[in-house]
Amino acid sequence: MGRLEGKVAFVTAAGGAIAGATARLFGAEGAAMACVDIAQENVEQTAADINQAGGRAIALVCDVTDDEAVKEAVEKTVTAFGKLNVLFNAAAYSEKRHRLADMPLDMWKNVIEVNLTGMFIVARHVIPRMQAAGGGSIVNISSIYGVVGAKERPAYCAAKGGVQMLSKSIAVDYAVDNIRANSIMPGPIETPRLLARNPSIEAVVTRHGARLHMNRLGKPEEIARTALFLASDEASFTSGADHFVDAGYTAF
Amino acid sequence: MGMLDGKFAFVTAAGGGIAGAIARRFGREGAAVCCVDVVEETVLQTASDIEAAGGKAIAKICDVSDEAAVKRTIDEIAAAFGKLNVVVNAAAASEPLHTVATMPLDTWQEVVDVNLTGMFLVAKHAIPHMQAAGGGQFINISSTFGAVAWPNRPAYMATKGAVRQLTRSIALDFASDNIRANSILPGATETNRLLARTPTMDQVRERMVPLHPIGRLGQPEDIANAAAFLASDQSSFMTGSDVVVDGGFTMI
Repeated sequence: MGRLEGKVAFVTAAGGAIAGATARLFGAEGAAMACVDIAQENVEQTAADINQAGGRAIALVCDVTDDEAVKEAVEKTVTAFGKLNVLFNAAAYSEKRHRLADMPLDMWKNVIEVNLTGMFIVARHVIPRMQAAGGGSIVNISSIYGVVGAKERPAYCAAKGGVQMLSKSIAVDYAVDNIRANSIMPGPIETPRLLARNPSIEAVVTRHGARLHMNRLGKPEEIARTALFLASDEASFTSGADHFVDAGYTAF
Repeated sequence: MGMLDGKFAFVTAAGGGIAGAIARRFGREGAAVCCVDVVEETVLQTASDIEAAGGKAIAKICDVSDEAAVKRTIDEIAAAFGKLNVVVNAAAASEPLHTVATMPLDTWQEVVDVNLTGMFLVAKHAIPHMQAAGGGQFINISSTFGAVAWPNRPAYMATKGAVRQLTRSIALDFASDNIRANSILPGATETNRLLARTPTMDQVRERMVPLHPIGRLGQPEDIANAAAFLASDQSSFMTGSDVVVDGGFTMI
């Protein structure tokens, strides 16, 4: 018996490293998977991997800031699998480094739209399906930079702080519907995206210095395992909470 | 000698209850105050009260979500005053009650535009003037509901959480310019806004006072006291912090 038997999950950014690892793990634990991303090739790969490993997955190409497209993607999920009761909201990106006064308004607006408004849009279409299913679990990816400052990333910090509160808002309003909502705050995680922005992993580890107590970056699977717990019935009394997966980065 | 001699302040929502009290207190403490709001009558009243009490004030009508208007207004006031070194970011929308699933996307967007993007725009255009002045202070008004949840306020809560992070971003990136930024998290404060959905203040008190260990709700002057402290040199080692003024609401 997998830990997510009977679950149907909608995972955004499933073509990426963190949500991709999460989607694969959820699929291996028995959940039917709607893998959602804006990049077709990547998200089809994730779905194919899950199906190949004996799970059930569909790939949906969708921009989380597009209300109609999200509505359609949620409909397709319920048509394919009969219900929807787990949401993993991970679509996000960080602006290139700018101090606030040098940041164009368009850049700010886009980061807020994808990272914060996008989560709102997905949640508002998923929630009625969870109500119909008798309950559900929402896992929103915030960041350590949703509670502490990061240099030259004002929009990312603001949006990730907003995500933390959005999770609490959903938790309070929908507890009566047996819907739980929690945030994960990842520390620095080793992903292709991080590598693309930095000369090397070693350079990133050195940059974070003493705050990186385990002297290494996190792995996508380490976020996925926390998400698995939160998505499953094992976390039945956990709602509105922040889960730091950061090797003590913010504890110091 | 007032606490705020030599300070030249830009205070948004100065026609309202909380920021109006802040503007008046700043005026009494020796600051020159630019009172900013979208409602002409109330902001003119605030400026006139400050002048009547012997202080210096100018009223400006400006919508914080309009970048061109924000830049123009800030440049005008910096020219009129000779410098600008304090900003109180207090503009916030008052949206109807909604859960995530019932809230129209337009309503969400309006709240984000005023409560969050508005603060970004004011900060963006004030920072160069603060740098020219050799330093300055941002006082960003968040909320207890930027840290804990309350029913039916998803956009308000998400934006107020984001405000705390925006404050940290400014504090981190502009410390080297001698600019400090701190958030105030007011609890329930007796202003007209608190009467938005309840006929009388006595009814609000009946419901809310039991949740406050201190045994009363806040007065605008309680918030103004914290703002004056944060704007003054007395708080010179404080930056990136949350100053909670809530009668103990969040500590139980």
